[in-house]
Amino acid sequence: MEVFVQTLVAGVLKGGLYALIGIGMTLIMGVMGIINLAHGQMMMVAMYLTYVLFHYLGIDPYMALFVSMPSLFLLGMFIQRFLLNPLMKVESILPENQVLMTVGIAMVLTEIARFIFTSNYLSVQTSYSTKAWYVGEISFSAALCVAFAFAALLSAGLFGFLVKTDLGRSIRAVSQDNEAAQLMGIDSERIKIITMGIGAALVAAAGTLLLPIYYLFPDIGGPFTRKAFVITILGGLGSTVGAIFGGVTLGLAEAFGATYIGMDYEDMVGLIIFILVLLFLPGGFKRLTKV
Amino acid sequence: MKNHLGPLAFLLVLIAFPLAVRDPYYQHLMILVLMWVAIGSGWNLIAGFTGQVSFGDAAFFGTGAYTAGLLAHKLGMSAWWGLGLGGIFAVIIAFPFGWICFRLRGAYFALATLALNEVMRHTATIWESLTEGMVGILIMQTFVSKIPYYYIALAIAVVSLISVQVVMSSRWGYYFVSIREDQDAAESIGIDTHYYKMVSLCLAAYLTGLAGSLYMNYMGFIDPTIVFSLHDISIMAILVGIVGGVGTVYGPAVGAFIMVAVSEVFRTGGFGLLEKLTAATGSPVMVLVTKYIKEAHVLTFGLLVIFVILFLPNGVVGGWRKSRRSH
Amino acid sequence: MKRMRFGVVLVLVLVPAAALVGLNPVQAAEEPIKVGVVLPLTGEQAKFGEIEKNSFLMGVEEINKAGGVNGRPIKLIIEDDMGKADVGRSAVEKLISRDKVVMLTGGYSSSVTYAICAVAQQRKTPFLVTTGSADKITEQGWEYVFRLNPPVSEYPKALNAFLQEVVKPQTVAVLHENTLFGQAGSQEFAKQCEETGIKVIVKEGYEHGAVDFKPLLIKVKAAKPDLVYMISYVMDAALLMRQSKELNFNPKLFVGGGAGFTLPEFVKNAGEAAELVFSATLWTPSVPYPGAQKYYDDYMKRYGSPTEYHGAEAYASVYVVEDVLKRAKDLTPASIREALLKTDKMTVFGPVKFTSYDKKTQQNSLPTYLVQWQKGQLETVWPRNVATKPYVYPVPAWSQR
Repeated sequence: MEVFVQTLVAGVLKGGLYALIGIGMTLIMGVMGIINLAHGQMMMVAMYLTYVLFHYLGIDPYMALFVSMPSLFLLGMFIQRFLLNPLMKVESILPENQVLMTVGIAMVLTEIARFIFTSNYLSVQTSYSTKAWYVGEISFSAALCVAFAFAALLSAGLFGFLVKTDLGRSIRAVSQDNEAAQLMGIDSERIKIITMGIGAALVAAAGTLLLPIYYLFPDIGGPFTRKAFVITILGGLGSTVGAIFGGVTLGLAEAFGATYIGMDYEDMVGLIIFILVLLFLPGGFKRLTKV
Repeated sequence: MKNHLGPLAFLLVLIAFPLAVRDPYYQHLMILVLMWVAIGSGWNLIAGFTGQVSFGDAAFFGTGAYTAGLLAHKLGMSAWWGLGLGGIFAVIIAFPFGWICFRLRGAYFALATLALNEVMRHTATIWESLTEGMVGILIMQTFVSKIPYYYIALAIAVVSLISVQVVMSSRWGYYFVSIREDQDAAESIGIDTHYYKMVSLCLAAYLTGLAGSLYMNYMGFIDPTIVFSLHDISIMAILVGIVGGVGTVYGPAVGAFIMVAVSEVFRTGGFGLLEKLTAATGSPVMVLVTKYIKEAHVLTFGLLVIFVILFLPNGVVGGWRKSRRSH
Repeated sequence: MKRMRFGVVLVLVLVPAAALVGLNPVQAAEEPIKVGVVLPLTGEQAKFGEIEKNSFLMGVEEINKAGGVNGRPIKLIIEDDMGKADVGRSAVEKLISRDKVVMLTGGYSSSVTYAICAVAQQRKTPFLVTTGSADKITEQGWEYVFRLNPPVSEYPKALNAFLQEVVKPQTVAVLHENTLFGQAGSQEFAKQCEETGIKVIVKEGYEHGAVDFKPLLIKVKAAKPDLVYMISYVMDAALLMRQSKELNFNPKLFVGGGAGFTLPEFVKNAGEAAELVFSATLWTPSVPYPGAQKYYDDYMKRYGSPTEYHGAEAYASVYVVEDVLKRAKDLTPASIREALLKTDKMTVFGPVKFTSYDKKTQQNSLPTYLVQWQKGQLETVWPRNVATKPYVYPVPAWSQR
């Protein structure tokens, strides 16, 4: 029983972190209709920022959020403005050029990080890195609990933003029908730039919150990019609530897979769920909940 | 006939190459180029001509390589049988995958291929009793000299190019392109798009698997991270395809040459040229430059992708053709 | 016509490539002796490649200052394998056919080493393996391959003795990363445990870079093993220990199988969770070989960062190379091989002598050590005669450390 409960707790907590990674991706995929294969690499950039702030200026990672999120917002806008938007005007045979472009961006970000920081492992040690709360024998990692709360807060905030504000409505309009939105006078290029910025800022939050309990090296992005698109497909494109569901589902699936099947299969479980959802539940949880 | 003169002349140059260039190091690089011609042709068939971008070529490449390796390792047969069977096993993987996943379109199909790539890598890693896991499979190469490998690789490259040429000038080719241009329109005029996408994928998988078995025979050693590598195989295949020219028969050949050359130039610091310059000038700046250039090879790949997509979206061959057409 | 012109362009592309062939270096009369070294200098393994490279360079500089090999200096030509077998192979091809090296050394990751060995054997170029540790490397009967470092199956030699004499565990859980080093090492260790009557109750691999080891540790904790043996790289090692502490998981002892558990980063990242953790290792600066401590200090002084067993292997290799080249009749592969066979040289890494035992040929056999983290310091605790501190066992529960 203890094994079961502890696995459940571990899975849900990790799921919260995954949700945070997934929310940014789902927004980008929903609005732009492209798969951002540089998502994990953007997170890596945010983590390096956090590391630098902590290591050289002694700024706590939770405070570093105020720097890493705006910085990544700018990076995201830059990428969209100068690298992705121009592609819409380029005449090419393959419509997937944008996806390939994000692969190129991912490689460049990774290698620039390697140039500056080398391949060494870096980490940030804070007082709460190893802190845990106990309920009976069951442990709750403090940093993961914070990340979970943050994910819930951010997605609630984002949900409100998308529903209540003009900008949010414009974003949803572009994601539903780009051309119709343009006819209604929405500058869809601008909306896309902003959306990419928000998506990047969200994943920056994930990276900054993850760093105290994890570590950092230039190649860290790849696996998280893969997890992000699994979560997004699970939750449904453009659905913030879906991203939370998707993240927690993936976290639970990995945790139970690792405990009851084998840690070997941790990554496989996610990929297989991914293919199954693509095939049997296209649209993800969004389809079930309509949110 | 005139149309074939250029390639034929070039083929003669390639046949004479190992006789003229005796240095095994260059022969080795040319073997890699020829292997990438086959892989690039496969990718180009499914992605460039049929429009179904694949991020998972390594799944087929690795299957081919493991087929050859396991034949030798488990059954004690010659790994050369892999050349016959590697492609077939790659098709055996491709068939059910395509059957299921071709319901997905565009970028979603691309993601599914990426997932296939990872699933295959994990399987090969975990299934130690069959694949030896990360310990890998080692066979002794048949020949010490590179020349036999060179000609086998050349044969595979030529077969790939010819089969793409033949397929693309047949009715299948038109179906493939029509699927790429507008799948719904293709469907509405009675093309069984699912079937033709399957044909294209299986052909591509066959060529890629063939290259994989060549790799096993030539390199003599494989492990899951080498042959199922997302970066070194799948993404390299895409680069070969797009740099050379998406949807052109000879594009992958040019792309393979450029990519192998670029990667080797950076790895060796301009074939040691930079080091000679450093030694000659003795300036500390050159030492730094040499160090960075050597480390920058993946960065260059990334920048190359961005550059090619922005400014040469149809690759060297495609772009060149196009600019000529507009004159 | 179109195609024709296209072909012409391709030929034009090839011509500069062919021209490069003419750039072979001109052989001067008084050449240094060239020795090829293949190491990962970029990519994920670059950190250790760098330590080895520095050690090679430090060693060769000392040798050349002392007069080199009978007056001729040794020139190391160091090639980057990027941690990839095919790149390593290209690099070796280049070293043999273009640089005309007389022998090869280096070889970090097992897979790259494997690929290099096959080329060395085919091209009949002697290869002194420095680090590649897969058992199979010296089990192929290759005449031109010699190995300085112990194979992975022998890493826990000292640990086994310690277990037999002191701990006497009944059950063991083996956790390993899914790499060649992890898979091969865990298989060998599990086999050795079964032979000595220790039951392996959990044996599981994981993908390097996992965020959360808790599900795995929960399962292991529930199985209640006496001993947990982990083959993990440094950051995974730190996370495993941190999360074990968080879960309050108290087996009789935690032992690392070399690799990550002995590095300074491990204790930095694991913090208190590293305390009293054991690890198998091949080398520490306190080993009873002449020059070991001096090598460590010199390295620290010169490069400003600590070195570890990989560096010692590299430093020892270059001295073996010197010794071999001095004794070789001439610089043909056959004579160098002859000389390698007769090697009997004391190095900072221990005595080097190539023998054949079990299935292995031309393999150097060395004792290994057991170390323990005590108050943030890595202390050698086994074998007893070289221990810097007595071992702390039984290990108290987390709450009492």
